[in-house]
Amino acid sequence: MIVIVSDDSRERLGLALKEAVTRAGAQAVYFAANTLSIKPCAACGSCSGKTYGRCVIPDDMQQVLPRIAGCQTLVLVSPIVFGGVSSHIKKVMDRMAAVGDPRYHVSDGELVKGMTGQGMGYCMLGIGDDLSEAEQAAFLYLHAENRKIMSARGRAFILESRPEEALINKIAQEITHEKI
Amino acid sequence: MRKSDILLLCASPRRMGTSAMLLKRIQAAAGGEIIYLPQKGSLHETVLAMQQAAVIVISGPCYINTCPARLIELLEEASLSGGFSGQKLYGVINGGMPYVHTHRHGLTCLQLFAEKNKLAWQGGFALGGGAMLDGKPLEKHMSRKKIVPAFDQFIQHIKEGSPSPDSLYEQAQTPPGRIMTRVFAKLLTLMVVKRIQKFGHDPEAPNWYLRGQE
Repeated sequence: MIVIVSDDSRERLGLALKEAVTRAGAQAVYFAANTLSIKPCAACGSCSGKTYGRCVIPDDMQQVLPRIAGCQTLVLVSPIVFGGVSSHIKKVMDRMAAVGDPRYHVSDGELVKGMTGQGMGYCMLGIGDDLSEAEQAAFLYLHAENRKIMSARGRAFILESRPEEALINKIAQEITHEKI
Repeated sequence: MRKSDILLLCASPRRMGTSAMLLKRIQAAAGGEIIYLPQKGSLHETVLAMQQAAVIVISGPCYINTCPARLIELLEEASLSGGFSGQKLYGVINGGMPYVHTHRHGLTCLQLFAEKNKLAWQGGFALGGGAMLDGKPLEKHMSRKKIVPAFDQFIQHIKEGSPSPDSLYEQAQTPPGRIMTRVFAKLLTLMVVKRIQKFGHDPEAPNWYLRGQE
């Protein structure tokens, strides 16, 4: 299962990607984060203690977490905001701690963690027009650091706001057939 | 608030954590008013306080390698409101991993916000191993011999209104060596597992969200 969580408040690229992934033959589920009610992580620590593996905030993130926990690949689609993702997508990312593995491992000589589903694919699609080199570099850097800390494989893509359908299809093929 | 004031903005949901402790250390040396980012409701008052300050210091925790969502929401709203004219912005980001690179994006995010909105980015301080302090003084940090003087020098830059170079925090933090990394991994995992077991959970069990899907 490929899970696509998208901030489609400006463009509906997340939905377009979901359709392209389905056409490519994969099962996909799509969430428009901008239409969901998701509160910010309260750093209460419950998901790593009292309610281990479960977030106690009763909002729409409770629909998203079971999908992420069992997914083959997670794809986050967001406008590029200050070299990162929008607050809608960042709320989802911050709340993903509940499905992370809190134990520590060593990879390439450094401490890392992991996700519940080992070997998870993790892709990010950043959208923006006239982005500076610094913004693009920052977005790619964020994905690389996320991938490292989650012990996930995957890649980041940067697109302009009205990409050709062929480009969306190409990305969908890469995600579906794990050329990431 | 007068334009000459220093605004110390705590971007953590925890009021007694490391982000707040670092701001209190800045306040003790450089003055200024600490405000806490509201975790719900309107951010209008916070944006207004930012617009009216001469110097802004934002201190927050590092979540998934960058600023927490609510801080990004504030930056989005501040960007939409506009009204900035050369306010000096400093950033502090702290996280659990004992590396600078893991947390650096939080500062990059603040810098890009400043550059897009006519604020004057003055540099920041990325602190690894900060979560372990859990609000305790910086003197308890595992690299305190280098970290304390470097952070105090960062505060001096805030007092003087001068730019703080990245080299200040980069040179104060040396990643643990290979053996220490393995020791840390074992010790930290042991602590995490003990905490999970203390609450009666099995750390090896499938994630709670997966159990209903079995």
